[in-house]
Amino acid sequence: MKTIAYSSPFVPAEWIAAHGMSPSWLQPRPAAGRPLVGASRGVCPYAGALVDAVLSGVEAAGAVMTTACDQMRYAAAIMEHRGQLPVFLMNVPSTWETAAARGLYRDELRRLGRFLVRLGGKEPSPEELAEVMLEGWLGQSERSEHAPVRRVGQAQRSPTKTGRIMVGGTALRLSHPTTPPPPQQKLVPLALVGGPLVEKDSDLFEMVERAGGCVVLDATEGGERTLPAPFDPERARSDPLDELVNAYFGAIPDVFRRPNGRLYEWLGERIAARGVRGILFRRYLWCDLWHAELPRLRQWSPVPVLDFDAVGEEDGATSRTVGRLEAFLEMLR
Amino acid sequence: MSQSARRITLDQWDQRYAELRAAGLSEPSYGGPLRRHVHDGDLRLLKLRTDDSAAALRLWNFLLSEEDRLHQARANGKKIVGTMKDLGTVPVMAYSLDNTIAFYPDGAWWLPCVMENQTRLLEIADSLGIDESFCPVRAMLGAFVSQSHFPIPDMLTCSVGATCDDVAAIAQRLAHLGFPILWWEVPHRRRPDPGEESIELPGGFRAPASQVAFVRSELDRVREAMETCAGQRLTDERLSAGIAQANRVRRLLDELRGLAYTARPCPLPGLEMLIAEMLAIHFCSDQDEAIHVLDELLAEVKRRTSAGIGVLASDAVRVFWVNPVADLRVMNLLEDVGGRVCGSEYLFCHALDLIPEELPPMEALARMALADPMVGSPVDRAERICRDARRFGAEAVVISRIPGASHCALEGAVIGDLVRTRLGMPAVEIEVPPITDSIEPALRTRLEALLETVIDGRRTT
Repeated sequence: MKTIAYSSPFVPAEWIAAHGMSPSWLQPRPAAGRPLVGASRGVCPYAGALVDAVLSGVEAAGAVMTTACDQMRYAAAIMEHRGQLPVFLMNVPSTWETAAARGLYRDELRRLGRFLVRLGGKEPSPEELAEVMLEGWLGQSERSEHAPVRRVGQAQRSPTKTGRIMVGGTALRLSHPTTPPPPQQKLVPLALVGGPLVEKDSDLFEMVERAGGCVVLDATEGGERTLPAPFDPERARSDPLDELVNAYFGAIPDVFRRPNGRLYEWLGERIAARGVRGILFRRYLWCDLWHAELPRLRQWSPVPVLDFDAVGEEDGATSRTVGRLEAFLEMLR
Repeated sequence: MSQSARRITLDQWDQRYAELRAAGLSEPSYGGPLRRHVHDGDLRLLKLRTDDSAAALRLWNFLLSEEDRLHQARANGKKIVGTMKDLGTVPVMAYSLDNTIAFYPDGAWWLPCVMENQTRLLEIADSLGIDESFCPVRAMLGAFVSQSHFPIPDMLTCSVGATCDDVAAIAQRLAHLGFPILWWEVPHRRRPDPGEESIELPGGFRAPASQVAFVRSELDRVREAMETCAGQRLTDERLSAGIAQANRVRRLLDELRGLAYTARPCPLPGLEMLIAEMLAIHFCSDQDEAIHVLDELLAEVKRRTSAGIGVLASDAVRVFWVNPVADLRVMNLLEDVGGRVCGSEYLFCHALDLIPEELPPMEALARMALADPMVGSPVDRAERICRDARRFGAEAVVISRIPGASHCALEGAVIGDLVRTRLGMPAVEIEVPPITDSIEPALRTRLEALLETVIDGRRTT
C-alpha cells in the first residue's frame, strides 16, 4: 500500500485511506547535517524542517500540503521545484462563513482525489468512503501494524489511547477525546496551545510533568483542537463527502481562519471544563499567525499564559524552556 | 527646460525650486518646495537624491501630500475604503463610484522610512506584540491605533487566502481592536490540471476557470458591501468606465517603463520609477491627478530620451529589481555604485497589466486579482521575472528581501535558482530594513560585487 505524507489537520486522513492509500502524518525531525533551508533567516523552523525532510527523502508516494499558512505554501513550491516527490498543494480557504468557501474546500477534496488516483489510488464509491469514515466510530479495535497518523498529545500518554487516530488500510478512529484522563494529583493542569509539534517535542509533555504540570488540553496543530468533528452516521451514508467537509472544514477551529473567533470559543469551553490553570503558548519564531494572537490570547485568557517560543535547534533552547516552565508552574502552585 | 538631468539632494532642490519658479513653474494645489515635507516630518528626504525635473517635483509632492488628500476627502463627505493586501483590484471598484476613494493602509509600511520613525509607529506595533519578526507593514497597526496619519476608513477590506501572513495576522488584530473588516478570499492560483477548462490571465499566467469564477463571486460580495457603504449602485456600466480609467494609468505606465527602462542613458532614476509604478495600485488617492502626474513624467522622459539626456552613465549595469525596498535610499545606492534599474517586479505587476475591457467587468477584475504574482507559485513568479528581465535586457537581478515578510523567507531561493539557470544571469539577495544607514556598507558591498561580476562578464564576451 502506498503512503501519502501530509501535515495539515485539514487534510482528511479518511479521504486518503478511502483511496486505498496509507495516510502518514509527517512530523519532521531535525535534518542530519546542514539543513537545506530549515535554518535560514525568516524561515519558520517547522516549515523549513518539513522542506528538509521531503528533500532528504521521505518514504511516501506523494505529499499533501495546504495553504493554511504562507510559509507552508512556499514550502510546497520549494519541495516541488527542488525535489522529486509529487506534491499536492490543497487550497484551504481562510474564510469559512460563505457557501463559496465551503464549496471550494469540497472541490479541493475532489481534486486531491484525482491526484491520489494518478499516484495509483482507487476512486472510492460513496459507500466505500462512508465505510471508511464510520468504521472507526463503530468501534473497530486497533491493530498494531497500523502506523499512527497523528496523535493527540495527552491521549498519547493515556493507557486507553483515547483519541488516538490510527490509519492503515482503513481510517480507524477510536473515541473522540471529550474527557481526558484526570491529571495526577498535585500536578497543575495546563493547556498547550499553538502550532504543530515536531518529533522532538514528544519530550515536552514529560518536561511539563517533571516541572510539576500536566497537559490536560492539547490545542496544538495536530492535537485535540484539530480533530474533526464526529461524523453523523446518517449524513455520512447519504453524502459522505459533504459530511467530510462538515467534520473538517466546518468544525476545526484554527488561527488562520478569518475571522478566527471560533478558536477562542473552542478554547474557552475546554479551559473551563478541564480546570485549566495555565496556558503554554507554543509558537515558532517567524510564525506570524500564532505570534500575532499572543497579545489577544493574553488579554482574553482567564488563566495566565506563558509564551513558549521555539527557535529551532539553537543551543540552550531546552534549558531556557525548562527554566521558564519551572518559573511559570511555581507561580501557579 | 533643462538641458541636463541630475539626481540632486534636498539642499540642491531648494535652489532648483527657486529656478523653476522663476522660469514660470505652474503647480497644482498640493505643489510647493520639497523642503516643506521635511518640516512635516518626512526626514528621509534629507538623505535621498531625487530627480531634478518639474515632473519629479510634482510626483514627490503628490506622493507626500496623500494624507492631506485623504483628510480633505473625509471633510468633503467622500466615502473612504481601506483596501488591504489585494494591490490593485478593489481600488478600481471604489474609484468607479462617484463619491468614494480607496487607499492602502498597508502603504503605511513606508512611513517608518519616510519619517525616519519619528511617529514611533513601529514602537506602537511592538507594544501590541507585533515585533520586528513581522514585515514593516506592522507600521499599519501603529497608524490605525494612533490615528495620526490617515483617517479611519468607512469600510475596510482585506484579501486573504493566498496572501502574506503578515497582513492577514495584523488585519485580524485590527478586527479584534474594533475595526470591522470584510474578508474576501483569493485562493492560491494553481496550474490547471490536464483537460481542465482554463483561462489566460492578464500578464500571461493561466488559471482554472473555476478559480476565476470563485474570485468573481468573492468580488461580488465586495461590490455589494461597497454599494451599501457608498449608497450607490456599482453597475457594470460604472465598473467598465472605472476599468477604462484604470487602464489609462496602466497604459501611461507601460509607455513610461518601456522608455525609462530601455533608453540609454537612463532618463529617470529608479527611485522615481518605483514611486510612479506605485501609483497604479490605488492612484495615491486621486485617480485623475495620478494621470496628470504620469502624463507629465512621461513627457519629461520622452524629451530627455529624444535629446539623449540621462541621469546616469550610459554604461550603468542594467539590473532587474525584485520586490519593493523598505528604505527608499537603497534605490539611490544601486545607482551610486554604478547600476540602474532596467525592469522591476515590485509585487504588483498585475496592477500594471491592462485589465481586459472586452469582458464583463467583474470577470475582468477577477482575472486581474488572480494574476497577482503573490497568489501563485513562486515558480510562476520567477518565470515572469525571467521573461521581463530578458525583455528589458537586464544583466543582473537583485532580489530585495523585506525583513520578516512571510513570502520572502523562501521565495528568493526559487527566483534565484531560475534566474541563474534560465538566464545564466547573476542574482543576489539583499535584505532592506526601513532604515539602512547602519548596514549601508554591507549593502553597498553586495551590490558592488554583483555589478563587478557583470562588468567582468562584459569584458570576457
